[in-house]
Amino acid sequence: MDVVNGLLHGFSVALQPANLLWCFVGCFLGTVVGILPGLGPAATVAMLLPLTFNMDPAGGIIMLAGIYYGAKYGGSTTSILLNMPGESSSVVTCIDGYQMARRGRAGAALGIAAIASFVAGTVGVLALTLIAPPIAAFALSFSSPEYFALMSLGLALVVLLSGASLVKGLLSLLVGLWLTTMGTDLFTAQSRFTFGQSQLLGGIEFMIVAIGVFAIAEVLATVEGGVKSQVLPVPRGLRNLLPSWEELKACRFAFLNGSVVGFLVGVLPGAGSSIASFISYGIEKAVSKHPEKFGTGVPEGVAAPEGANNADTGGALVPLLTLGIPGGGTTAIMLSALILWGIRPGPLMMQETPDVFWGLVASMYIGNLVLLLLNLPLVPLFAQILRIPAYVLFPIILGISVVGAYSTSGSLFHIALLAGFGLLGYAMVKLEYPTAPLILGFVLGDAMERALRQSLMMSQGDLSTLVTRPLSASMLVMAALILLTPLLGRLNRWRVRAIAE
Amino acid sequence: MLTRRHALAVAGLLACAGASPATAEFKPTRPIEVVVHGGPGSGNNLFGRAVVAAVEQEKLATVRFQIANKSGGGSTTAANYLMSKDGDAHTIGVFTNIWLTDPLVQAEAKARLHDMTPIARILVEPALVVVRGDSELKTLRDFIDAAKAKPGQMKQSGGSITARENIIRQMLMNNTGARWTFISFPSGGERLAALLGGHVDVMILDPAEAGEQVRTGKLRVIAQVSEQRLDAFMDVPTLKEAGFDIPNVPQTRGIVGPPGMPADAVAYFVGLLQKVTATPAWQKYLQDNQFEGAFAGPEETRAFLARYEEQIRGLLKETGAKVVR
Repeated sequence: MDVVNGLLHGFSVALQPANLLWCFVGCFLGTVVGILPGLGPAATVAMLLPLTFNMDPAGGIIMLAGIYYGAKYGGSTTSILLNMPGESSSVVTCIDGYQMARRGRAGAALGIAAIASFVAGTVGVLALTLIAPPIAAFALSFSSPEYFALMSLGLALVVLLSGASLVKGLLSLLVGLWLTTMGTDLFTAQSRFTFGQSQLLGGIEFMIVAIGVFAIAEVLATVEGGVKSQVLPVPRGLRNLLPSWEELKACRFAFLNGSVVGFLVGVLPGAGSSIASFISYGIEKAVSKHPEKFGTGVPEGVAAPEGANNADTGGALVPLLTLGIPGGGTTAIMLSALILWGIRPGPLMMQETPDVFWGLVASMYIGNLVLLLLNLPLVPLFAQILRIPAYVLFPIILGISVVGAYSTSGSLFHIALLAGFGLLGYAMVKLEYPTAPLILGFVLGDAMERALRQSLMMSQGDLSTLVTRPLSASMLVMAALILLTPLLGRLNRWRVRAIAE
Repeated sequence: MLTRRHALAVAGLLACAGASPATAEFKPTRPIEVVVHGGPGSGNNLFGRAVVAAVEQEKLATVRFQIANKSGGGSTTAANYLMSKDGDAHTIGVFTNIWLTDPLVQAEAKARLHDMTPIARILVEPALVVVRGDSELKTLRDFIDAAKAKPGQMKQSGGSITARENIIRQMLMNNTGARWTFISFPSGGERLAALLGGHVDVMILDPAEAGEQVRTGKLRVIAQVSEQRLDAFMDVPTLKEAGFDIPNVPQTRGIVGPPGMPADAVAYFVGLLQKVTATPAWQKYLQDNQFEGAFAGPEETRAFLARYEEQIRGLLKETGAKVVR
């Protein structure tokens, strides 16, 4: 069955009324789950799994996948409105999304997030449809040295995220790298930096760090400045609540960037959508004509990461469906669901169970459209949240943060941790340390350390393995170039001054 | 500290002694909490849910059974939680091998399985030794010979160094004198991708995880870690049949109660679990996952765990792990 016939067959499955309904249910639940911090798609899919056992496999997987990519749409909402990431993949969206909201462009940011999600989500599914088998081979060719180089490339972005002082950015990054080493070391089974606390053996939950240093710190810093009745300006009129033509035009490259980076990183079983969104944000800033405006609320800064985390979904399904390899928590649960239904994801899935394979792929085109139609009309409604007076809104934010932190772990210890990270974030804001590098270090540090140690174990301690492999070497060169940019800038300024004198 | 330990030991002895003859019959009066250490979708979460599903479908109990996820720090959070329920008759936990190994290597993990009340061992999980489908290694002997020819250069992907696949590696190395490298990856997907991508040479994994790859020829099974050949892999030798006489390292799952669980409650759960394992739903669960039923009562389970801990402690030291207890 070739691609066109397969896809047509898929649409005949996905457009059956029952399957359309499941697609809608999945997308709707996904959006809700995405909006609520602390409740993630993995937990939701797992909770709903028993209910799907008696469903038709095509309908079941269509719904579960809907939750998976729907959550990516919803995750940006609280990032933009409250500086509180709804999902780990939406952390980067806080950087420019929340700043847009502060300038009265919350509606525009939400609209751009939805449109970027739609465009990149659709490109991701398109790539899944057309080039799944070759791209799966690419994913397998990635070994530990390549992962190390990819993470180095990500870490080099720190120079773009640091703002005024590179030294402060690097210090912030180091704290992030340190925090990520806490817990049990996979290679030796020994605990590191746990201070004798058994609750720290599993390491620190990413969402607790992110909510602490972003949302809580923001509340504290704003409260200190004297509470006005309304936190952020919300313009009147529907037109002002949607993205303007100029804003959309500024995002043209971001849509493409997010789509490509998100898909490629998504295909790799050892990466993840937070990494995809960071890298696409970094690329967007690196190629921008006005990089200095990033972090003050530019629409591209929302479109790139939001696009990337949605294209990531299409990418993550490639190894799942064509190799039977799950890349993350949610896809692992989807794999166990497929196996329970008697479906066997792998090289033969396309031929043996075309209904499920192509039905799922086709449903994702429909699902992305459903999500766009579901999310765009909600934009004006969500933007109204900011009309709530601060003395009501702030306690709600704190409440949601605490519930979110508690629900990821079920222990009070983690609420104390959340408070600690809130204070850390507040101190950083007051002392003008950028918080984004801390999050970057936290996201990449663990994967990077692991990849380095794996590489060295594979090469029996020979460091040259990192530079003799072409893919790994070229990514390391790119990382080095990015690291050199501030130096070049300084050189340039010095030259200009020298010429002027 | 001493008195507390002492009290626990006495409570444990009492639980053991009282478990055999029927004392006053225990009837649960509120929902039973089933503590699992893995997050949603993990093997022991699914195991817990399969127990709960069998209880509910066959109406084996008068109260509800609910899963309580206590993930974090491997098994530590769940084990600590169960330890804190001293004497409670309405909380049980799902244990696996890492409940034994975590306290052995981590000073912070203080909750140990033999301070709690073992109720039943329920199943053992076999495993497969696999290489890539296009590999020139046709048998485990081929692999061992290759490893001997290039000491340290053959590679095995797996999880933590305390996981069963590394224990088996250590025993095979001791048995043959060959040496190869064990490389840890956090998720099963990454381990498999490393093997399929040709970055490592061998892997030991669950039959259910390997099934599709084996069927499509992407992986070749060169030995199975099991007492008897599995139905689905009748043509593959067990380690013993392949000529490697190493002790079996069973990956087990079972049910444990908090310290000092009343004897009548232990008896109630043993009876209940016997009924659970006889249901068709349970048999299907075993079959789907290619697990082997291995039911054992409280005393036998306690003895099994003690024996197993001794066996594994020595091997962990040999693998290079720092054993703290």
